[in-house]
Amino acid sequence: MHSLIQLSIVVLLLPLLSFVILIFFNRRLPRRGDFVGVGILGTAFAISAYIFWTVIVQTYDPAFRVAWNFTWIDLGNVPGVGPLQIKMGVVIDNLTAIMLAMVNLISLLVHLYSTGYMAGDKNYGRYFAYLGIFTFSMLGIVLSDNLFSIYIFWELVGLSSYLLIGFFFEKDSAANAQKKAFLANRVGDIGMWLGILILYSQFHTFGFSEIYANLAAGKFTLSNAWLTASGILLFMGCVGKSAQFPLHIWLPDAMEGPTPVSALIHAATMVAAGVYFVARIFVLLTPDALHVIAFVGAFTAFMAATIAITQNDIKRVLAYSTVSQLGYMVLGLGVGAYSAALFHLVTHAFFKACLFLGSGAIIHAMHHEQDMRWMGGLRKHMPWTFATFTLATLALAGLPLTSGFMSKDAILAGALGFATVEGGGIYYLIPVLGFFSAMLTAFYMGRQIWLVFFGESRTHLKPADDHHADHHAHDSHAAHGDEHHEEHGVHEVSWNMRAPLVILATLSVFFVYSPDPLDGAKGWFMHMIQTPATVVGSASLEKPAALATAQQPLLAEAAVVGAGHAEKDVPESAAAEKGEEKGGHTFADPRQAEIAHATHGAHYTAIYISSIMVVLGISMALIVFVFKIIDPDKTAEAIRPLYLFSLNKWYWDEIYDATFIRGSVILSKVLSWFDTNIVDGLVNGVAVTVRKFAFANAGFDKYVVDGMVNFTAFSVNTTGAVLRKLQTGKVQTYVVMLIIAVFGYFVYYVTKLVY
Amino acid sequence: MEQLTTIGLNHYLTVSAFLLGFGLFAVMTRKNAIVILMGVELILNAANINFLAFSKFNGGMQGVMFALFVIVLAAAEAAIALAIVINVFKTFKTVDVSNIDSMKE
Repeated sequence: MHSLIQLSIVVLLLPLLSFVILIFFNRRLPRRGDFVGVGILGTAFAISAYIFWTVIVQTYDPAFRVAWNFTWIDLGNVPGVGPLQIKMGVVIDNLTAIMLAMVNLISLLVHLYSTGYMAGDKNYGRYFAYLGIFTFSMLGIVLSDNLFSIYIFWELVGLSSYLLIGFFFEKDSAANAQKKAFLANRVGDIGMWLGILILYSQFHTFGFSEIYANLAAGKFTLSNAWLTASGILLFMGCVGKSAQFPLHIWLPDAMEGPTPVSALIHAATMVAAGVYFVARIFVLLTPDALHVIAFVGAFTAFMAATIAITQNDIKRVLAYSTVSQLGYMVLGLGVGAYSAALFHLVTHAFFKACLFLGSGAIIHAMHHEQDMRWMGGLRKHMPWTFATFTLATLALAGLPLTSGFMSKDAILAGALGFATVEGGGIYYLIPVLGFFSAMLTAFYMGRQIWLVFFGESRTHLKPADDHHADHHAHDSHAAHGDEHHEEHGVHEVSWNMRAPLVILATLSVFFVYSPDPLDGAKGWFMHMIQTPATVVGSASLEKPAALATAQQPLLAEAAVVGAGHAEKDVPESAAAEKGEEKGGHTFADPRQAEIAHATHGAHYTAIYISSIMVVLGISMALIVFVFKIIDPDKTAEAIRPLYLFSLNKWYWDEIYDATFIRGSVILSKVLSWFDTNIVDGLVNGVAVTVRKFAFANAGFDKYVVDGMVNFTAFSVNTTGAVLRKLQTGKVQTYVVMLIIAVFGYFVYYVTKLVY
Repeated sequence: MEQLTTIGLNHYLTVSAFLLGFGLFAVMTRKNAIVILMGVELILNAANINFLAFSKFNGGMQGVMFALFVIVLAAAEAAIALAIVINVFKTFKTVDVSNIDSMKE
């Protein structure tokens, strides 16, 4: 076993250890055991940092990969299924190393931050235990080398998010949010499981590398529609976990959890899992599946951005921005900008964690006020938070010199290249939605910064009927619930909450990733994470020849050749394999090569357009909120239907309520009726019949069988009673009887003699 | 007239029958155990008279011998019966046979 594998297993198990210790012993440990959680995560981060150092810095090989597995359960040859062998294994490549370090770092920072944010909570120890299992589950997903174990950890992530979103389960809203998250995820997971089963039914293995080898060798015997279906079904898992349309509804509600948990969910653990998973299965996605993914991502990015504009809750704005950014990542994967999407995953993880922890600091300082309308002017009171929050905001908006700029532009360049290659038309919708969302992002983040940090405090404007009304920002000794605020009014948070912000903000600057602030492709990340060659090349795609010939003349020939061999053919697959071996930017698959080429060409176009969009967005935010040239309230009034549409989140909750929820309620009522009347009727009917029969039987038993027995007893009794009169015990009576008998006999004898 | 002057077999048998009737009457109706015993003696003696009468009118000594045996037997029977009666009296303080019924139930 490679030493890195051993280390990674240690990293995987450490958070589990933290969970076990804290869930059982937190009440017996000093400080409820928070130092155990922080310490263990610190160790895990140190080890994963070492792995990162070894893999990324020392080896610096894009094709680096070590793997190890063992047979966990061997069920042998299951009848009707075939050989069923479940393996567990660890694979470490560049992506894994980066994700390990990222997840552990953010988890560590969230642990550290939580020691300040959650101080005084009555379930303080349990909270850290949950953080431990959450991190464990996510690390499991990152390290898994097969679909089965990834599915196990996938469900564990669902469980731990359920526990943490509903951490304040006394609140109805939190309890509902946790249920919503769990159920929405379940819908996606079903699809994912079906996708896994399609692949399993073909190859009888769950391992990624085995499946890809088999696919590349053309052993997929079903039609390509099945392969596309399996790709889309697997993507459904991502739709659930990464909150893509149409299952995005749970993520904003997940804001009911403690704010550091939101940071963890939104940055490192949960939503990243979906994108990571799609990246893992990227090579088996057919072009059709990728189109679906790209459109889902683009739509999600756009929709969430439009919703984020009008939200008033500071965390909800961030939540929708997460949905929007996840849409970018999924879009990026869909258009084939694999490394850009993962780059965005990592950069987004850092600045979104920073934003959430920053908003947590604000909420903490404002005594649990989350509505941005009643904030304002916090810049002077919270300089550290202000600086880091602003930096992360700029990264999110995608301003040059930040990490977000590089990754987002790489994705948008990929989208442009994709649209060019696919032949324009509807495919240009993807980059257009992407650019438009970039503008909206800049706008709503500008709005948020302005509302929260600038201007004058609007705490006193808050309607008095609210139950928070007595907690003015300038109240002294404002104590809220079980939290204990000893400071006066709004204050900067303590060091253990500030340090994570500073670290995360530093990681949102360009030089961490690339020496050139305009081109992420020159940095180490894009070099280490390169788009893998697909194993389901366009040769195996049943694409109409007309579409293929419509492609650029440069590669039209190759495409026509590919389209000509509509069925899977050996040379193409072999070529694809060769391309995979070589790695790098030379793709054997013509479609992929073309997109990579076009992406490269679109790089500067993307930068120009998106910079213009960002500047436009920020200027709009300035115009509306700073210079007040356009009054936001009046504008909202003027376009009231649109405003309400956005404020009510496109009415998705209502739509789902009216269709799926109402539908399932009606369905369950129908089934309940069926159950009570038909099924229960049958059961009751049988019961009544049996009862009737039993009564008849009992009657027979009582009157006939018992009657016979009793009659026997009665007759014996009666006979005895009669006969006992005869046996008086007096000899004289007997003598009389004797004489009577003799006389009787005499009479009989004489009578006989006479006649 | 001969019937009255000459004592024949019928006279004996008639006496014997009366004795038997009295004996039976005593056995069946009396409650005193000793009287019952006396009734039994009467019955036995009625049998003896029959034996002797038939013996006289039939010739031979078988009847006489039988009667002697019966007398001996009656003596033995009387002895045993009286002993039982004495013991019954000791136990129950009475010789009324209708009261001696402790084995009935």
